[in-house]
Amino acid sequence: MKKVLLIVLSIFMLTGCSSKHNELIVVTEAGFAPYEYYEGNKIVGVDIDIAKKVADYLGKKLVVKDVAFDSIISEVKTGKGDFGAAGISYTEERSKEVDFTINYIDSKQVVIVNNNSDIYNTEGINNKKIAVQLGSVADTYLTENYKDVELIREKKFLAAIEDLKDNKVDAVVMDEIPASKLITDNMRILPNELLTDSYGMIVKKGNTELLETINKVINDLKNNNEIDEFLLNHMGIKSKKESSGILGKFYDSVIYNARYKYILEGLKNTLLIALGAVLIGILLGTISAISNNIYENTGKLKILHLISKAYVTVIRGTPSTLQLMIIYYVIFRSMDINMVLVGIMAFGINSGAYVSEIIRAGISSIDKGQWEAGYALGLKYSQVMKKIILPQSIRNILPALGNEFITLVKETSIGAYIGIIELTKASDIIASRTYDYFFPLMIIALIYLVITVILSKLINVLERRLNNARN
Amino acid sequence: MLEIKNLTKKFDNKVVLNGINLNVNKGDVIGIIGPSGCGKSTLLRCINLIEIPTSGEIVLDGDNLVDNKKHNITRRKIGMVFQQFNLFNHLNVLENIILSPVALKLMSKDEAIRRATELLKKIDLEDIMYSYPNRLSGGQKQRVAIIRTLIMNPEIILFDEPTSALDPEMIGEVTNLMRKLRDNGMTMLVVSHEMNFVKSFCNRVIFLSDGIIKEDRSSKELFENPKDDKLKTFLSKIGNY
Ligand SMILES: Nc1ncnc2c1ncn2[C@@H]1O[C@H](COP(=O)(O)OP(=O)(O)OP(=O)(O)O)[C@@H](O)[C@H]1O
Ligand SMILES: [Mg+2]
Repeated sequence: MKKVLLIVLSIFMLTGCSSKHNELIVVTEAGFAPYEYYEGNKIVGVDIDIAKKVADYLGKKLVVKDVAFDSIISEVKTGKGDFGAAGISYTEERSKEVDFTINYIDSKQVVIVNNNSDIYNTEGINNKKIAVQLGSVADTYLTENYKDVELIREKKFLAAIEDLKDNKVDAVVMDEIPASKLITDNMRILPNELLTDSYGMIVKKGNTELLETINKVINDLKNNNEIDEFLLNHMGIKSKKESSGILGKFYDSVIYNARYKYILEGLKNTLLIALGAVLIGILLGTISAISNNIYENTGKLKILHLISKAYVTVIRGTPSTLQLMIIYYVIFRSMDINMVLVGIMAFGINSGAYVSEIIRAGISSIDKGQWEAGYALGLKYSQVMKKIILPQSIRNILPALGNEFITLVKETSIGAYIGIIELTKASDIIASRTYDYFFPLMIIALIYLVITVILSKLINVLERRLNNARN
Repeated sequence: MLEIKNLTKKFDNKVVLNGINLNVNKGDVIGIIGPSGCGKSTLLRCINLIEIPTSGEIVLDGDNLVDNKKHNITRRKIGMVFQQFNLFNHLNVLENIILSPVALKLMSKDEAIRRATELLKKIDLEDIMYSYPNRLSGGQKQRVAIIRTLIMNPEIILFDEPTSALDPEMIGEVTNLMRKLRDNGMTMLVVSHEMNFVKSFCNRVIFLSDGIIKEDRSSKELFENPKDDKLKTFLSKIGNY
């Protein structure tokens, strides 16, 4: 279902006017795991993760362009793409065409064997059975340079290690970083690496601004060990630290690499969106409810009444996720706009319809006799409304608005669909790093719960105050 | 002063009032009686245009109110007292009374407060001036409602069963206030099921049935010598009034 929607929306997007200035285009060739490869119909990988960081840093949306490796340089040269990231090694020849960033990967491919193996150096792998990850650097390298080894291509590195454990293969070749995490006490890594490789990204010659930005992002990532982490993630490996008991898992989910910052950022955005949305909702809901009431009582404002009726019908009759996607992918598609603001607008427009109902219900809860007494005293509709009806209905409306705010706090979690980093998305990000969903999900569940319980308590207090005020 | 000509009122296809003709002179105190559902309330509500008549005229001081679109202006001249009091629950007694004259800028706030206090004093209600409606007894509420109407200086006051929501011991305080108004020459239309009260209080009584006024006579005559069959049945059913 979600896919169908996305397709419909992308047709909208294609036909709608598109401006590119909020996009950052990275050019790659997706077929080089773990740096860039397809997962389903999505291109993912270490390079893509880094490119995403660059785009985030620039506040732009990353667009991944998949071309043949040989065309990457020309794409960048002609400006069809902003930069290239495809596990590209520095060569003199290439550096005449484009500018290279600093290296973000110094990849060493190492050989792992069992302790009792008779292989002691890299030459020893000839004629042996070797497990690699399908489509990885090791796969490519061994296929080209070691014609006489028998390659067992596994989908995951872990499976390759399992093969070695079970003595199904004689050795495993993989990147040094995961290797060091994966080997058991019964295994060893051969002292010389099979191959070293360094990768940089490329930009159009003279585009020093982007070059420096990418360099800065790479440096930051290196300092936080985040590139290693990307690498481990894409190899389907948890870092060893992460599996050490409850406390260790908690540490990884929250403290390691300052991951709590995602949660704080998510919390901030969740509250900001809920608050902004409820304010917009109150504005729209009031206009809608009052215009309906004016029309019903005086026959004026027919157009506004019709619009607001249609608005309430449409919003209440369609899923909020869909509304969010339409607002993001269709309406704000071509605008360079802050995601939190998109969230505030989308949820605000959504909430307005419900607030309209809240106000309508609040008004109709007031006894007809109050209207009649007001009219009988010579007051006009607007005076009766302002001086008699609204002040009394506020008592019912305020607590209901509080509940609407609570609903919004929870509802904002669907903002994750369009990539708003609110609480749910924050937990998802952390979980995608640690491969452990328990703590991220439990922590944000607890946060939602604490917020909603506190808010409910506040609403109860408010309700009691309002009831006592006149009693 | 108030002339109702051929007034009809339909709800959907149901004819409730079917040609009402009534002349009200200044100082008249007219009782309106009739079986439940015969349209007594509807008649009062049409007079102050809370219900819009289907046809006919309501002429007050020469103006046909039905044609005049400024219902809010004409309503100032016509007070209305409801069975359920309809005090504004969020306002205290004083605020209830002064709301309309101040909002309509008929008098300054100070002036309104002065007038309200004066009126409340006359019926010994100044103690409850700052109380909210839910702290008042039914009798107090209805008297406040009457004062809220009086401060507008209406030419006529419509009462729709003003005492039927009251405990028996409180009826007296409300009818006493109404008597004072009557003795001061206020024109009133009073719907009531209390035949004893109607008989002693009103100088004229109309009997409403089948959407029309079946009898319109002095109260003494009407009760002592009813002519219409329906009125006879009605009075005998109500019994020892
Ligand atoms: N807003 C309305 N819509 C439809 N029918 C109505 C409406 N108001 C009153 N009626 C009907 O009109 C008829 C007269 O009602 P009304 O309240 O005037 O009677 P009443 O003589 O005051 O009765 P009661 O003695 O019970 O107060 C009733 O049959 C009632 O159901
Ligand atoms: Mg009635």
